[in-house]
Amino acid sequence: MRKKGQFAAVNKVSIKVKQGEIFGILGPNGAGKTTFLKLLATLILPSSGKALVNGYDTVAQEKMVKSSLGVITSEKRSFYWRLSGTRNLKFFAGLYNLNSKQIQGKIEELAHLFNVRELLDARFGEYSSGTKQKIAIMRGLLHNPQILIMDEPTQSLDPSTIHSLHLIIKEKIVREQGKTVILATQRLEEAKELCHRIAIMDKGLIRFCGTITEFQRITGYNEVLTEPPSLEKIFIKFINSEESS
Amino acid sequence: MSYQLSFLLDLVGAFFSIAVFYFLSRLLGKSVAPYLTSYGGDFFSFLLIGIAFSRYLYVGLNGFARSIRNEQLAGTLEAMITSPTSLSVIITFSSLWKFLFASLNILVYLLLGTFLFSVDLSKANILAAVIIVVLTTVAFSSLGIISASFIMVFKRGDPINWLVGNLSILLGGVYYPITILPQWLQKFSYLLPLTYSLRAARKALLQGYSIRGLSSDMMALLIFSALMIPVSLFIFKYAVRKAKIEGSLIHY
Repeated sequence: MRKKGQFAAVNKVSIKVKQGEIFGILGPNGAGKTTFLKLLATLILPSSGKALVNGYDTVAQEKMVKSSLGVITSEKRSFYWRLSGTRNLKFFAGLYNLNSKQIQGKIEELAHLFNVRELLDARFGEYSSGTKQKIAIMRGLLHNPQILIMDEPTQSLDPSTIHSLHLIIKEKIVREQGKTVILATQRLEEAKELCHRIAIMDKGLIRFCGTITEFQRITGYNEVLTEPPSLEKIFIKFINSEESS
Repeated sequence: MSYQLSFLLDLVGAFFSIAVFYFLSRLLGKSVAPYLTSYGGDFFSFLLIGIAFSRYLYVGLNGFARSIRNEQLAGTLEAMITSPTSLSVIITFSSLWKFLFASLNILVYLLLGTFLFSVDLSKANILAAVIIVVLTTVAFSSLGIISASFIMVFKRGDPINWLVGNLSILLGGVYYPITILPQWLQKFSYLLPLTYSLRAARKALLQGYSIRGLSSDMMALLIFSALMIPVSLFIFKYAVRKAKIEGSLIHY
């Protein structure tokens, strides 16, 4: 539980995410998705309760948690824009105590996976939004973490880039490498495309936790899920139905 | 290219700064010599070392806080602190370049002073000076870490830096020996590490004092560091915890 001023930004959240699962956290702005991910990433201390990541307590075993996690945000400012992609990746890899040989090998492997090999020597500031996001995901994978936390990783990307990133996340990162992904998104179609299970948050509370199919069954919104969704609409109706029942 | 130009401008700036103090010391001439007998009597040499070594005070006080602030503003702090490397290590290494650059700056000041403005460093005890530099760096760093803690929580408006910086310039003996201060004010000078650092540096570089001869000033810096480093680390840890509880660690 995390209190922010007079209210708890994340409250009474109890979720277990399985290994090799893509777990989506959905909710409108201010729902507590990012706060929840930051709690897992040890960036925020819970005022009560606890979170375990890969079996490690986020407060008592912070270092182990950090070694197990790769944190990926859509925040493009989190890189040094005047440095090249390679230099950025080398710098951040150094913080994970990898030696130069390991770093070089890992960057080459990831550059191949994300198809950015020929772009890595250009300055980060010159990259397209899609490439910047690819580099952000590569950074999260440098130390080969077991779990990836992704906070709206495809925000403001074009459909083709989103599709290629979805493929990499689903096929390469999860299916082939068996990593666990916890992903916050506002887009229901992204959750439908990627996630095995989802949790819907509102005002810091979990309103629903289960598979997309279960969500469809509960809300009766099958038709919406096959079209560009309006999460707000579904969400408001869902919350209303929860309150009236 | 921009980095080389910046470095070149720093060098030229150092020359101008030294030249101003050179002519100022010529204006005052021998009239100030009686106050400087324990430093060899030459006002320009006294000033040169005061200005050069006060760079460490500036870097020590500002370096850590600036590193945090820069990373907060750049947005890179979050990516750094989600790594297993501890924040104190990250900040120490982020500031290391600034200390190295300050050392280079001091060297430039001393070289320009020696070769262009005839400062006599022929008796200098280099080893003692290096030890003083190390002790000074550690002592000033403790104040810098406290300053960084403040930035961590309040993000700006750092009173530690302001207070210690101004008091050190006023009372630490950068531009004049502390002996010209009123007796009661001199007592406060001895609470500042800069006082010991400058006195020892001047004696080592201008008069070639041995390490034994400088031991009381070195000991003062050592005691200051031994007391303040644990205190500053404790405060820093507290500040990080507070920022994490408030969720403001990466806010700017």
